[in-house]
Amino acid sequence: GMALLIWGAFRGNRDFHVITLTAAALMFAAAAVAIVSPTGGGFNNLFVNDAFSRFCKVVIFGAGGVSALMAVTFSSDTFRRFEMPVLMIYAATGLSIMVSAQDLMTVYLGIELSSLSAYVLAAMRRDNLRASEAGLKYFILGALSSVILLYGMSLVYGYTGGTSFEAVAAGIGGDASFGLIIGLVFLIAGLAFKISAAPFHMWTPDVYQGAPTPITAFLATASKMGAFALVIRVMMEPFADITAEWRQIVILLAIVSMVWGSLAAMWQTNIKRMMAYSSIGHMGFALVGVAAGSEAGVTGCLVYLATYVVMNLGAFALILSMKRAGRPVESITDLAGLSRNRLPMALALLVVFFSMAGIPPLAGFFGKFLVFTAAVEAGFWWLAVIGLVTSVLSAFYYIRIIKIAFFDEPTDDGEFDAADVSLRAVYGLSAVFLLLFIAFVRFVVDWASASASVFA
Amino acid sequence: MEEIITGLTFYLFAAVTIASAIMVVGSRNAVHSVLFLILAFFTCSALFVLRGAEFVAMILVIVYVGAVAVLFLFVVMMLHVGENRLFQGVRRFGVVGVLVGLAVAAELIIVISTRAFRQDTPAVASNPTTADLNVTEALGQILYTDYFLLFQMSGLVLLVAMIGAITLTLRQRDGVKKQSIPQQIERKREDAVALRKVESGKGIG
Amino acid sequence: MAITLEHYLVVGALLLTIGLFGILLNRRNVIIILMSVELMLLSVNVNLIAFSTELGDLTGQIFALLILTVAAAEAAIGLAILVVFFRNRGNIEIEDINSMKG
Repeated sequence: GMALLIWGAFRGNRDFHVITLTAAALMFAAAAVAIVSPTGGGFNNLFVNDAFSRFCKVVIFGAGGVSALMAVTFSSDTFRRFEMPVLMIYAATGLSIMVSAQDLMTVYLGIELSSLSAYVLAAMRRDNLRASEAGLKYFILGALSSVILLYGMSLVYGYTGGTSFEAVAAGIGGDASFGLIIGLVFLIAGLAFKISAAPFHMWTPDVYQGAPTPITAFLATASKMGAFALVIRVMMEPFADITAEWRQIVILLAIVSMVWGSLAAMWQTNIKRMMAYSSIGHMGFALVGVAAGSEAGVTGCLVYLATYVVMNLGAFALILSMKRAGRPVESITDLAGLSRNRLPMALALLVVFFSMAGIPPLAGFFGKFLVFTAAVEAGFWWLAVIGLVTSVLSAFYYIRIIKIAFFDEPTDDGEFDAADVSLRAVYGLSAVFLLLFIAFVRFVVDWASASASVFA
Repeated sequence: MEEIITGLTFYLFAAVTIASAIMVVGSRNAVHSVLFLILAFFTCSALFVLRGAEFVAMILVIVYVGAVAVLFLFVVMMLHVGENRLFQGVRRFGVVGVLVGLAVAAELIIVISTRAFRQDTPAVASNPTTADLNVTEALGQILYTDYFLLFQMSGLVLLVAMIGAITLTLRQRDGVKKQSIPQQIERKREDAVALRKVESGKGIG
Repeated sequence: MAITLEHYLVVGALLLTIGLFGILLNRRNVIIILMSVELMLLSVNVNLIAFSTELGDLTGQIFALLILTVAAAEAAIGLAILVVFFRNRGNIEIEDINSMKG
């Protein structure tokens, strides 16, 4: 990251492409390293590298690399900042440290590192009022949520005597004192903001719309994955034996985000805002897995998140290629009649959005299926029912887009420009992955359950 | 006797901190609220000293009052925030706000006082303060050994903050004429002085 | 009247509520919001120090130190974003930050 920064400082913005490409390459290399890295603790048990963190790191760095790739093509001439890939690398490192944290302090620093670079990335386009407004809103709510998180941590520290997860678990000793529960509530509130669960999701639509699209892709995929893995780790490890307390809160969050996400996305005109609401809905589904509290629940969550990340990358690649005469276009109606003039793109759109809705043969279905079975096993069958209802609701607005793309008449203002090769590669690959997911679903599920076994 | 003194000083500083915090929020003029913020930091660090964590108290004074408050003053001055329009919005629902505020504050206090803070403070104190070392040395010992990762990461966070601030605010105005000292120094005699043969009464052509 | 841990927690809680209401109540400008976030961070520090000395354990103070550095970084970035916003917008009143709807 540092080397790239220095290189960028000297060479300025001229070779923006080269730097972003190297950034993407670095991220993929980091993902590779993450797979092979040995299990083991580090830094006086502040840091652990177990199966769970390896799974999340691979997904985070993969998503970071792909969004960096998308940024290469996105850089319209007005926006050629070499700092962007560098900040992306720092955000990705922050996320990866956060995921393998064993101590509340590492959790806090990981969150701060990734969200600070995310605030700057969101506000990167200096001349565009919307981007700076999105950055400002994201910053204020982000700062507020990290204060709430901190207050929770200070209370938890107070009542258990230590900040590392083992000390916290030992300190609880079964009977959660009153103060500890308050600390836990604050903690969950802070974390819920980071994954934009419903009552705390206010920032998501504005930031997704305001920030430049590759940054939104990065936010939607990598940072959501990191934050969610953190929720799983924090809930399952230190507070394992008082699951009764935090379970109702998580269930409440899950229901509200599922309902709110699907309903609000119905009448969105701007596709990026719609993506924001759909990501809130997806977070709700994944939270159902956490509410189950069992190892199966965590496996379901991980599979769900992996497929969610791939789907979102494909969707954002499509949004990026929605360019008309060089000018990015964002409203849903612009997709009209896509199948007539850009068939491959339309097909990819079909696959991505069908799997978002959770139609059986595609990947999205398996995530939902696993999460709901885990919830039913844990005795929350009514939660699974609500989940099914809301997924039907959410299916509505996904299919509406497909309808617009396939059956509406193309509007007169012409078709999209040819998408760049890297964009076509991204959404092509993600569509293929979603289609062939059945083939290697067994592999992914085993890998996820192996990483979930950490909490057995 | 010693109990009473500490009690008194605690209440004094606590009262000043709370009062200045209220003033930060309630003051009409942004510069006033920055100054009250500084006052709040000062009195709070005094509370820390009272509590025995003098190293953190000093750091608080240096870091916060030195950097953050000055930063705020800087920006408040630069953006010359309009003072006049500052206060009219609050009156409309000021009363409701204060009531709700009291309710929340009361609730928090009740929660704190009823908290069955178990007397047997949990045995696991990961790094107990040993009597012989004063706090600063003890802190130094464990900060750079056990919590080295955190130390590095906070460095990284500061780096990101720096990059962020520069990318967002630095404006290279290329039109601006800049003085470049080396260029001035290297001016040779030739390009400054030119010898001319001038016939009398005719001036240079 | 010995000063117990509860006293410090009360101070922390009060600071937190004041900071929270600084954000919610004021209709003026964003700088007050940034300042109240600083206030709330201060209250977290009060809490941590109170617990750390009560338990006789240094991790609380380490955490407080870390929070100080990160809070300074956060303030810097917040103000940078504010300056950028101010350049685009002309003033930083709360009411006008709503150019995006829905």
